Amino acid sequence: MRVGQNPAKSIDQVALPARITVAVVCYIPFLSGYYAESLEILKACLGSIWDSTLAPYDLMVFDNGSCPEVKEYLAAMQSQGRIQYLVLSEKNIGKGGAWNFIFEAAPGEVIAYTDSDVSFSPGWLEDTLAILEAYPKAGMVTARPMRSPEQYYSSTLEWAQSNPEVTVDFETFIDWETYRQHIVSLGTSEEQAREWYEARKDYRLTNQGIQAQVGAAHFQFSSYKSALQEFLPFRMDRPMGQVRSLDEQMNAASYLRLCTCRPYVRHLGNQLGGALSQTRDTGAGKRSQGWAELPLVKRLLLKIYDAIFRLYFH
Amino acid sequence: MRVGINPAKAGLPAYTPQRLGVALIVYIPVLEGYFQNSLEIFRYQLASLRAATSQEFDLLVFNNGSCPEASAALEALYQDGQIDWLIQSAHNLGKAGAWNWIFAAMPNELICYADSDVLFRPGWLEASLEVLDAFPQAGMIAAQPNFFDVLEGEGTAHLRLAAQDGYSLDEFLPSKEIIDEYCFGIGASEETARPFYQKPLPTITNHAKNVQAVIGASHMQFLIPREAARQVVPLPAVHALLRRETMSLDYKIDQSGYLHLSTLQPYVFHMGNTINDRLLSELQSITGRAIQPEGGKAQKNTPQSGVRRFMASLARRPRFNRLFRRLYNLLFQALNSE
Repeated sequence: MRVGQNPAKSIDQVALPARITVAVVCYIPFLSGYYAESLEILKACLGSIWDSTLAPYDLMVFDNGSCPEVKEYLAAMQSQGRIQYLVLSEKNIGKGGAWNFIFEAAPGEVIAYTDSDVSFSPGWLEDTLAILEAYPKAGMVTARPMRSPEQYYSSTLEWAQSNPEVTVDFETFIDWETYRQHIVSLGTSEEQAREWYEARKDYRLTNQGIQAQVGAAHFQFSSYKSALQEFLPFRMDRPMGQVRSLDEQMNAASYLRLCTCRPYVRHLGNQLGGALSQTRDTGAGKRSQGWAELPLVKRLLLKIYDAIFRLYFH
Repeated sequence: MRVGINPAKAGLPAYTPQRLGVALIVYIPVLEGYFQNSLEIFRYQLASLRAATSQEFDLLVFNNGSCPEASAALEALYQDGQIDWLIQSAHNLGKAGAWNWIFAAMPNELICYADSDVLFRPGWLEASLEVLDAFPQAGMIAAQPNFFDVLEGEGTAHLRLAAQDGYSLDEFLPSKEIIDEYCFGIGASEETARPFYQKPLPTITNHAKNVQAVIGASHMQFLIPREAARQVVPLPAVHALLRRETMSLDYKIDQSGYLHLSTLQPYVFHMGNTINDRLLSELQSITGRAIQPEGGKAQKNTPQSGVRRFMASLARRPRFNRLFRRLYNLLFQALNSE
């Protein structure tokens, strides 16, 4: 039976979510073979988010059935207040299933999604938000200039070319090193990358004074939650390989697929190599500790609190 | 850079969720005072849920900003495979805030929500599904008769259904034992309890299926179809446990044309925050094994010193009672401020 009044009823206000939810999905089933360095890469990914994200945000991590070492690390980060929402799934429900979960549940108006093998640099969120706000019906904004397949950005181009207020430039805007870095990180040879680089050019748009390039990628993107929800649910019967449908559906629904002109994010893949400098433990995102958290004070208060309860309610 | 092919791309099947998902919200900010037995009671809940549920289900636990000890205990249960999805929220988002997550995200066709102090009895799912089968328009189905009309007479969805052929509005007076148990569970005073013994509960009957259900459903435990759950979010969520916010669920359910219903018999029981011999005995009969309290203790009347007796008598006086309650809540807020 209930004895006494639940003191939670006296709480006037609970934590309100930040406007932006940064959401990370990770799946590291073991720490050998393909995944030998994946935990270090996850640490680098989260460290770069903590270091490079200045605007207020909540960090949500969806662990899709990783091994105990990964869960342990994530739980430690959550208990330190560096992850606001940690979702632990005992079984892998697929990337589509994880997307269904986080795109429905993330409390922010804007969801900044990333795979767990991506590093961020300062300015990524500011530039991303500037594009989301300057371009009507912006659906996906990736914080790196991308050359994605044309069939996924035809609506973006159509919108830009039919809108006189939008300037459309078509040149080689992405420099070779930026292009090479990403393509090679996917496991493609440098020769192949060079061939692809020389075969294509880039569309750059200017609207309301904000520049953006045409194209986006689903390894990292930001979007309004309301836009993403139009495309749910995704199929979830395979661990990977079913999320390309977001690119197709966004384009089919005439949402814009855009990217920043500067490379703020970097795909790390499954091997760090010399790709990253060590992430600093800045403590960003830690919950502030009030006076009541001081061990001695807390013990004393808890004792008084407990005594009052026993006296009053028993 | 990427070296090799990600084995996850090899076409292995991902986990397919069960038809039934059970979601529990846990908020144990301290292990003292009101919450001194909460963790143990939650363990009892899990034991009864596992023993009393006849179908496979996925279990989601939403930890709504509990203290480190409680969070670690939940983490251990998750590691032990007793929880399928564990959401650890750094902050208390309020009950409605947690519902926003649960109702929006759970992939199961049927979602059973319960507070973290509810005992499940065998037959709860069958009885709930029987009601759902007879009333497919049901949005919330509680597995205990509802004694308290949250909508305060403003609900209309059942009236529209009752106007159709084959349905009728009736009444049901639960047995004294059912009312006693309900009042015991919520710690009702005599004054609060009296009307429950006098007034029959409103019901609706589907004559073709010969199923009668009480009109109304409590927030403590209910089954909600995913389709209905998706329609009611987002709910306003500013307070931890404000009735007005949790009531918005009921209004949205009713306005969407869904019914609030509950079973005639109590298949769930509100354990509250105390452990007693009666609870342990029932738990033993549900789980089929002896239950020994671990951290918590069955409540017993222990002799008190003269000072304690004096303070306790003081605490019963209205003015001091208010003062103690205020001090208690102030301490709670100081200890759990965000």
